[in-house]
Amino acid sequence: MEKTLNLFEVGEHGTVKSVTGEGKIKRRLFDMGITPGADVLMRKKAPLGDPIEITIRGYELTLRKTEAVCVNMEVNK
Amino acid sequence: MKRFALAGNPNCGKTTLFNSLTGSTAHVGNWPGVTVDKRDGVYKKCAEPISIVDLPGIYSLSPYTPEEVIARNYVLDEKPDCVINIVDATNLERNLYLTTQLLEIDVPMVVALNMIDAVEKVGDKIDEKALENKLGVPVVKISALKEKGLKELMDKAYNESRKKRVGVTVLKDSPLAHVIGDVKIALEGQNVANPLFHAVKLVENDEIEVKMHKETVGMVSAFKKTFNDDIFGNDFEAMVADARYKYISKNFAPVVTHKNKEKFKTSASDKADKILTHKVWGIPIFLVVLFLIFHLTFSENLFLLNGFGDGWMPSLSDNEAFLEKDDDGNVVYEDNLDYYMTEDGDYLTVGSEGVTDNGNGTYSIEGEDGEFVADDEGRLGSRVPVLNYGGRWLATIYDGTIYSPGVVVNNIWNDMIVGEIAGRIQEAVDGSEMSDWAKGLINNGIIDGITSVLSFLPPILVLFLFFSILEDSGYMARIAFILDRMFRKFGLSGRAFLPMIMGFGCSVPAMINTRTLADEKERTATVRVIPFFSCGAKLPILTAVAGALVIGTGISADLITYSMYLLGIITAIVSVLLMRSTSLKGETPPFIMELPAYHAPQFKNLMAHLWDKTKHFVKKAFTIILASTIVIWFLTHFDFQWHILADEKINESILAKISMLVQPIFTPVGFGSQLGEYGWVFVLAAVSGLIAKENVISTFGTLAACLIANPAVAAEIGLANITSEAGIGAVKAMILATGISVPGLLAFIAFNMTTIPCFAAVGTAKAELQDKKRYKWTLLFWVATSYIVSAMVYTIGSWWWTAFIWAAVVAAVAVVIVMRNKKLAAKQNVLA
Amino acid sequence: MGAWEILLIIACAGIVIAVSVTSIIKKKQGKHDCDCGGDCAHCSACQSATKKK
Repeated sequence: MEKTLNLFEVGEHGTVKSVTGEGKIKRRLFDMGITPGADVLMRKKAPLGDPIEITIRGYELTLRKTEAVCVNMEVNK
Repeated sequence: MKRFALAGNPNCGKTTLFNSLTGSTAHVGNWPGVTVDKRDGVYKKCAEPISIVDLPGIYSLSPYTPEEVIARNYVLDEKPDCVINIVDATNLERNLYLTTQLLEIDVPMVVALNMIDAVEKVGDKIDEKALENKLGVPVVKISALKEKGLKELMDKAYNESRKKRVGVTVLKDSPLAHVIGDVKIALEGQNVANPLFHAVKLVENDEIEVKMHKETVGMVSAFKKTFNDDIFGNDFEAMVADARYKYISKNFAPVVTHKNKEKFKTSASDKADKILTHKVWGIPIFLVVLFLIFHLTFSENLFLLNGFGDGWMPSLSDNEAFLEKDDDGNVVYEDNLDYYMTEDGDYLTVGSEGVTDNGNGTYSIEGEDGEFVADDEGRLGSRVPVLNYGGRWLATIYDGTIYSPGVVVNNIWNDMIVGEIAGRIQEAVDGSEMSDWAKGLINNGIIDGITSVLSFLPPILVLFLFFSILEDSGYMARIAFILDRMFRKFGLSGRAFLPMIMGFGCSVPAMINTRTLADEKERTATVRVIPFFSCGAKLPILTAVAGALVIGTGISADLITYSMYLLGIITAIVSVLLMRSTSLKGETPPFIMELPAYHAPQFKNLMAHLWDKTKHFVKKAFTIILASTIVIWFLTHFDFQWHILADEKINESILAKISMLVQPIFTPVGFGSQLGEYGWVFVLAAVSGLIAKENVISTFGTLAACLIANPAVAAEIGLANITSEAGIGAVKAMILATGISVPGLLAFIAFNMTTIPCFAAVGTAKAELQDKKRYKWTLLFWVATSYIVSAMVYTIGSWWWTAFIWAAVVAAVAVVIVMRNKKLAAKQNVLA
Repeated sequence: MGAWEILLIIACAGIVIAVSVTSIIKKKQGKHDCDCGGDCAHCSACQSATKKK
């Protein structure tokens, strides 16, 4: 099943399929290690889903909704 | 001199390392053309002195932010003799992403693996030798904070700097290797330095590269046409980033052995966070927590157990067991009456309506229980029985109401400790043979001044304790996380929240804590508004004035206190909005925050914090404040001809005359010329607040006795016991002596809450802002804001219709700003 | 003026001078008057600030 990262529930995890968004945002997501094939765990969501905290590549990262929306994920069972 | 550059992610410990290496030789300037700090210094422990440059923290060498461009250009153009890449071992993969890019440049390099101790603490291990083999450059374990491994690092760096190094790329195994190889050969043919680096960047469609190497772009496109990828299409930028991480995952990540393999499980902390950062309940929970803190610190009716209004619990003085008795067994009463005040703030007298003479020396008041007695002037009040020793101890916890812990500590400190000691000293001095002026200096100048400040130690400590618990447990970070969205509307990130909350304790550590904010403009805005989050030293002003206002206005002290704190917060919000849309306009910074696991704050640590703070506070009281009260006492008891003045002639003193000169400036804000002849005391108090905010109250404390000495004033106050309630009594005296209006008083509080903070905070702001121009504007900002805010409070409070005028002014300013920004945006669009 | 008074004046003058001088010296040295009183190794505020960068 596919959905964007911002729609993940706490505790769900998945794999990054693709990253969209305009240059700067996309670049920053890459720099943080959010590239296709990376495993992501949704750890926390603030009210209104913004910001969120995920675990990726062994560390915790916080993202804003505007950034999470650009990450297309494949949900893992 | 050889030059080494420090490069690494933000928050990887780079600046800590820099400070350890360069010590006092560190110098901070600006990178030309941008407001980014440039730090350089000298390392003297090698064979020769080495110049160290601390490059800005960056995640990659892409051209999207000024920091990245600076770092990149420095390494490419300035050609340092060695690059020391600091890698945060707790975030290995992400840090190595930058490393792979640095490796592509033809420059000697060394990797410093920092925070190894944090990694080992959770039981993980990193094989740095393996990493060294894979990277091809020396890897040294260090702890920048503990200053371990630094000499080894610098020695290795020095060795590397004497060799040449050719760039390598991790993309050599990727599908792009061929394209990159071809471009590199082309660039080498053009004698371009660092051909490999430029080749990779060109393939990525890097903007700077494209501009710099226009000729090659055509060739690159030709190469790229032969290349098509399934996943990325022709998004080469994505391909390169992806290839880097793939390589890192495959080759570098294995050097780490995890103790706890299951990193993908939610921990206990996360479960707690499900509730505490819940999308609906998160913020309400926080508000309740905050309210609880204030309640436990200030409330005189714990959990409303005593009901509303006057309460149902009996007062201690109703029970003879707690009362002091004389030798005949009769109850001893105080000299001072507990005067009966009507709602209008008037005294009720023997002849007033509703008063009946009971014939036995007591009177009854219609609608009130109990009997009253009259003083010499016919004013009615209840006799206050004196509590015996046991009674007094009990009264700290309960007296007709149950006190909150904060108030209990306050009562113990003030009534049983400070009050006792001060009282005895004052009695001894009064009874001694010293001349009047000496008695005045000691009792009023020194003792009253200091006790009025010391009396506030308990609430300051209790609040500090609660906030420390919140912060140490990790809860504060969660709040910053939740509030980030809201903060963004004002142009700040959630991380600015923590320093602001710290401001409620003391501005100095709060300003230092803004170092976690990577964006300089965000930092400046935050530093500027920190004083509006009224620090602990301002608390006495608030409590004393609010307490004095309770009588005569009936407004609860709580309400005034909350409103003033709120006013500070609102001022901060408006200021930030203003700054972020004008001089400090910038982008909302990226939000990367660490949310550490929850852990119970350690009791020992907390007690150590508290003890530190107490020591510091008491030290301050007995040094700076003591010195200030002495100086003020002297200058208010001598006139310009150096004659000594009696208390009631205080208006002729040196300080009075000087303050009177300045007084008119404060008229628009409510405490200037419109106050009577004693009005200058407000001005003096506010100015003395520059040395230490506690001085505002201690000044009142010191001078109150002089005011009482004036017969006109004394008639109003009666024999109000100034010393027993320290600050509050002194303020009451001031109110009555000057006739300051309620709005004027509120404006006075507002002024002190928002004006230039104490010298210590000013000094810290100067050090943190570093840019002299910014610092000067900051001072101006504080002066202007306090003036405007207190003027608003005063005028609107006195004449409600002025609110419309202010609203119109604010609207006009907002329109001007919006239009100016539109013009600027339009200009930029034309240029681009 | 009695003995006590003279003592008093000397003590006051001493305090004021001592405090002023130490404050000025501290400012030149750049020591900041935060709550830990300069003892940054044990100060939570300074610790968290230096740890970050």
